[in-house]
Amino acid sequence: MGNKIGVFVCHCGINISQMVDVKKLVEYAKGLDGVFISKDYKYMCSDVGANLIKDSIKKNKLDSVVIACCSPRMHEHTFRGVVESGGVNAFNLEIANIREQCSWAHDDKDQATEKAKALVRAAVAKAKLLEPLEKSKINVTPEALVIGGGIAGIQASLDLADQGHKVYLVEKSPSLGGRMAQLDKTFPTLDCSGCILTPKMMEVLNHQNIELLTYSEVVGVEGSIGNYTVKIKKKARYVNMDKCTGCGDCVEACRMKGHVVSDFDEGIGKRSAIYMPFPQAVPLKCTIDPNSCLMLTKGKCGKGALCVEACEAGAIDFKQKDEESEVKVGAIVVATGYDLLDPNKMYEYGYAHSEDVITSMQMERLINSSGPTMGEIIKPSNGEKPKSITYILCAGSRDENECSWCCRIGCMSALKQVYLLKEKLGDDVEMNICYTDIRSFGKGYEEFYRKIRGMNTNMFRGRPSEVRNMGDNLTIDIFDTTTNKLFEIKTDLVVIVPALVSRTDSEEISKILRISKGADGFLLEAHPKLKPVDTATNGIFIAGCCQAPKDIQDTVAQASAAAARAANILSKEELEAEPQVSYVTEELCSGCGTCIAVCPYSAIELVKEEDGTTHAKVNEALCMGCGSCVASCPSGAMQQRGYKDKQLIPMIDEVI
Amino acid sequence: MKKYALYPGCVMPTEQYAYELSIREIMPKLDIDLVDVKDFSCCGEPIKSVNQMMTLTLSARNIAIAEKQGLDIFAPCPMCHMALTEAKRVLDTDPKMNERVNKFLLEEGLKYTGASDVLSILDILHGVVGVEKIKKKVKKQLNDLKVATHYGCHLIRPSEIGRPDDAENPQKMEEILIAIGAKPEYYPEKLDCCGGLLNANLPESALTKTGQKLQRVQEQKFDAFIDTCPWCHRQYDSKQTKAGETVAAKLDVPVLYLTQMIGISFGISKEKLGLNLNLSPVDKVMGGT
Repeated sequence: MGNKIGVFVCHCGINISQMVDVKKLVEYAKGLDGVFISKDYKYMCSDVGANLIKDSIKKNKLDSVVIACCSPRMHEHTFRGVVESGGVNAFNLEIANIREQCSWAHDDKDQATEKAKALVRAAVAKAKLLEPLEKSKINVTPEALVIGGGIAGIQASLDLADQGHKVYLVEKSPSLGGRMAQLDKTFPTLDCSGCILTPKMMEVLNHQNIELLTYSEVVGVEGSIGNYTVKIKKKARYVNMDKCTGCGDCVEACRMKGHVVSDFDEGIGKRSAIYMPFPQAVPLKCTIDPNSCLMLTKGKCGKGALCVEACEAGAIDFKQKDEESEVKVGAIVVATGYDLLDPNKMYEYGYAHSEDVITSMQMERLINSSGPTMGEIIKPSNGEKPKSITYILCAGSRDENECSWCCRIGCMSALKQVYLLKEKLGDDVEMNICYTDIRSFGKGYEEFYRKIRGMNTNMFRGRPSEVRNMGDNLTIDIFDTTTNKLFEIKTDLVVIVPALVSRTDSEEISKILRISKGADGFLLEAHPKLKPVDTATNGIFIAGCCQAPKDIQDTVAQASAAAARAANILSKEELEAEPQVSYVTEELCSGCGTCIAVCPYSAIELVKEEDGTTHAKVNEALCMGCGSCVASCPSGAMQQRGYKDKQLIPMIDEVI
Repeated sequence: MKKYALYPGCVMPTEQYAYELSIREIMPKLDIDLVDVKDFSCCGEPIKSVNQMMTLTLSARNIAIAEKQGLDIFAPCPMCHMALTEAKRVLDTDPKMNERVNKFLLEEGLKYTGASDVLSILDILHGVVGVEKIKKKVKKQLNDLKVATHYGCHLIRPSEIGRPDDAENPQKMEEILIAIGAKPEYYPEKLDCCGGLLNANLPESALTKTGQKLQRVQEQKFDAFIDTCPWCHRQYDSKQTKAGETVAAKLDVPVLYLTQMIGISFGISKEKLGLNLNLSPVDKVMGGT
């Protein structure tokens, strides 16, 4: 193929030229078989360098190009475009990495130059065997799936829907809102969380482009970028959504009223078996909890279900079953949120020993005027007003034994709660904060922190060693590292601010979507800086706390970013697929399945032919070109375009 | 029958005879055979702050002696157990220290290889024997005797060298006590220090720590206070009267070794368990059983 090869050597300023004799390399390349011209330039990736390549191709009618420069991870994409604009197929380009793998790695110029020669020699050997490749086209379904109906999912859905894309928003619980719906006010502006959230929830409900699927779960995802088929399970609510008016008469009537622990109230309040998680729930419909409803658990409820009697609309339907549906989408945004670390993991903080040790999320529900106490702050053990409240920050966060990371919202949410508690309880209630460092990094956060410090709050810098339930009070031992003194705090109510962890079902989600998780359990972005909302799987994006702990501000920004990235795909009628993917030579394949086991993208399947033979088949849309299957194939049946054995072996021959 | 080299340490054979007596009584009943090994020396822990190398060498020496006999070590004293465990960890993970220590041992013709395990009282009772087996041997009901457990420090810390129970929420003593029919209950002072290690420099402070804890145990109406460490036991049992004087309280708390409590439930006589050697009012417990 390539008999008229051009070799272009880049100096990369002095990054390459100070350790590789570029002039010698250029002269050497000229003498290689198949090389027609050889040139160098200070910055090959600059406009001038690109034009040098382009003009040389045209003038000399080159048919293959070797560029000796930095890693292909840096500029392969750029140079493919350059080569193509010169009139040569973009894949008739081979890059010899003489920067990361040569000049940067060595300190002897003569030897480095010899190595650079070998690398160029190998690249030329491959360039002779390169074949032109064409990108194939994939049709795109212009609809999107958003998983999770918290603020991240809401924002991503609205952004996508406003751009004209149909969005399926799947939420596991009966209502939209997520964690933000549980909060009272938000830091540092003290906006009422519900007041800024509910308009967005209503917008989702009424948006013509959004199909809201609450009390539903994604149970299967197949396909690839541009074309996903998603299986969604709609759990039985045992309430007819069309008939229910959300009046709440059934909730009042329920025999189990006041007996069922409310998840939404973080276990502090009690609800009925038929319930609406909070008054502004969207959709404003009731749901029967199948684990506590007497009809559903025992088959009978006194002489007849009281909810059925109370419901004038006749919406209760105990015969309802789970339903499964399938939708087709082109891109997916995952916004599944976070859980709080089980406070019992920090046994020494006494959560197991006293009702008066609560989490910050439970405090949020106590403060909230629609919470279990209608906003009254009480000691859960006896219902009395506390005279002293102590916060323990970083409970499990920044802790080698539990979560090494910072939860990023603990300091600010505690400071906010202190402010709200002062407002509610007055100045005679003692407020203590045990902190590690106060991290008030966001816009307006530091100012808010200063305000609280000026409000007669006792700040102890340190981690309590123990919280003891002494019967009539809680006693905390804390070594304050600013004064080097051991303090004993006697207090009525302890609020621990637990670490943020990934959702308990994040493992399932990552399996269903075939996206990776980090060692911390959170879903993994494709690149921490440059692709923060992409995943390693094209077409799937992440937003909010499922990626890492973050505040509402950052979550909303990330959700909009994820929506924009998804819209990049959805707004195109068709996508170009990378051609450097694997393919099977069917006659050579024995169907052993080794490649299937090693493929990280589940892109390979076994196919049975009519004559009874089986062989592997690559779904080229799913293949990311990692080459694992090629390396593992015992018969050489699996090959990757652009990296075939017959193209790679001559390279090795040249180097060794 | 499982065989272990009994590593007595210093406190148990020189003053805390009751611990040794009760161990030697109950262990055969639980199919644990105790072998007395000649030439064991100090574990080294008391001189650690002065000469760490010597501490390590002494600990390694004792393990090497057991290795020579092909026996694992049972160290009832938590402080000895900690010293031996730490030495094991250092020598098993640090080849340089291993070489240096073995050079010293060579003078006696000994070699540390890491072949022998070092087991604590909880490793033996809760791990090797197991709660179920203990339960089967119970002859005398303890009638839900309300007991407070005291783990002391060495048995549960430092976690990174590997200790027999959790540092913040140890429960193995509780599980054993439930198995023999006692009723262990949580009390906020459970993990408080006995004060014993302050004895040398600040004896007053040591007794204050001891007295304060016992006072709280008494206030919470526990029937007995159960420990496993001869150092702690010396504070709570032998020095109880003095500790009471220090905190201006009349203390009257029966303090027993876990092994004594188990022995009682097995129907073993008071004398055999060394209960006549306890200085705290243990008769109250015997009367209630």
